Amino acid sequence: MARLPSNAEPTPVSTGVGLRAEHYDDVLSRRPGVGWFEVHSENYFGAGGKPHHYLTQIRRDYPLSLHGVGLSLGAAEAPNKSHLNKLKGLIDRYQPFLVSEHLSWSSVNGRYLNDLLPLPYTEATLEHISGQIARVQDVLGRQILIENVSSYLEYETSTVPEWEYLTAVAERSGCGILLDVNNIYVNSRNHGFDPLTFLNAVPIAPVQEIHLAGFTVNRFDDGEILIDTHNQRVADDVWELYRRAIHRFRAVPTLIEWDTDVPPFDVLLDEARKADTIRSEKRVRVA
Amino acid sequence: MSGLRKLQQAFADAVFTGETTALAQTVRANGLTGPRRLQVYRNNMFVSLTEALRAVFPVVEKLVGNEFFAHAARQYIQTQPSTSGDLHDFGGSFAEFLAPFPGADQLAYLPDVARLEWAYHEVFHAADHEPLALESLAAIPAANHEQIKFALHPASRLLQSPYPILRIWEVNQNEFDASDEGKATIDLDAGGVTLLVLRRELDVEFRPLPPAEFEWLRHLATANSIGVATARAVEMDPDFDLDTVLMRHVTGSTLVRAYL
Repeated sequence: MARLPSNAEPTPVSTGVGLRAEHYDDVLSRRPGVGWFEVHSENYFGAGGKPHHYLTQIRRDYPLSLHGVGLSLGAAEAPNKSHLNKLKGLIDRYQPFLVSEHLSWSSVNGRYLNDLLPLPYTEATLEHISGQIARVQDVLGRQILIENVSSYLEYETSTVPEWEYLTAVAERSGCGILLDVNNIYVNSRNHGFDPLTFLNAVPIAPVQEIHLAGFTVNRFDDGEILIDTHNQRVADDVWELYRRAIHRFRAVPTLIEWDTDVPPFDVLLDEARKADTIRSEKRVRVA
Repeated sequence: MSGLRKLQQAFADAVFTGETTALAQTVRANGLTGPRRLQVYRNNMFVSLTEALRAVFPVVEKLVGNEFFAHAARQYIQTQPSTSGDLHDFGGSFAEFLAPFPGADQLAYLPDVARLEWAYHEVFHAADHEPLALESLAAIPAANHEQIKFALHPASRLLQSPYPILRIWEVNQNEFDASDEGKATIDLDAGGVTLLVLRRELDVEFRPLPPAEFEWLRHLATANSIGVATARAVEMDPDFDLDTVLMRHVTGSTLVRAYL
């Protein structure tokens, strides 16, 4: 798989923010000092109108990353052609410095659950999704990043840990890794592992982006489960894990995600500043 | 990948139906039970697809109430599942679903309100287009004028209803000032509406049209010539004034391309 350069723009150093329609006017009038923006690709699959009007203007001043949620790369079936073509059109139109998708599935026999569903981590599914990713990269003519997802169950049939699976997918398909530090933390709590085991098992070279977001704890009488809701500030434990991640992966572009109950833009800026601060800390001793 | 397809099929069935017992056998219990874990996915799916419908059909939701809307959405999601990885595609058949839906079937106007909101949604996202170049019209020889056909703006839809759905839509907007007595009441027998939904630049507009003018555009939209369209319009309204109507829809960007 040839790794084509995304474009001539330098990789942004400071933290990026997920761009939401609620903030279009704020961003255009204030030109806030964030490093870059990321959008959900599908929000711009429409042909025209306001979404493109705003994104075109914002793209003039900021690097952009396209983050897809609907390609269903882990499905038994091949990715939907029309979906893939729309993504390709969007890449041509906006020249993003990064394009990413998820290590998950969301459809079966053309029926969509529109969620990021977990795969059994087996040799057979590993080979399958790696092939799907490689073919998508061929169609798009560029490398994509694949993100580890939050999950709420594990399959009895899984034979390898998630971190080994993620690493192997990158090796076999030639994709990069979008490491979602919040998802590592959420899964460590949901499935009972040490998040540092995950972090330290992921090779440094493929990691080209980091995601940070807030989760919600759902409590039941027989236990609790962490849900990746993207509706609040990043948790303290996740900031700590991020500090470890930066120590390992260095200056990887980092994104603050917030998708529901979207707060005023300043709250996102404040979260971005926290990430900037952590990245600029001198290398303190972290075990 | 037949093993994976079988698992994904069983997973989707469990999420859609709530029958999680069988699939739960394949899930590690590890604290919470398998059914509890699958329930998270079931909940996520219904919540996110309901939110997608809520975003497109806010007036329908206002008319039937949040609780009933959630109930109807749930049934809709189950019986007519999403078929796209782009949530913006979900809901195109919601109007038809609502028509016979128990509880909503008494609100005869509800499906047409849903059609209006879907048209708004489609027009909001549809392609931009340059206005019609008048020179292209001038270049067509007079002898062929009757045969000219027009393409409508990609961000336009024609919609008609026997109910005053535009009034219903307007009084159910959040910014509507209901303090003006009488304005907020709607006479369902006030008559229907023939509407052009159009986005010329950024904002979606609703324009009620006289029936003959609507009919004229409807014929043009189905690739009939202006001669045929005008003949139909004049049948409906002998005073139909082609020059005025044509100019209005050319300068107003309803008609964006002329061809023979």
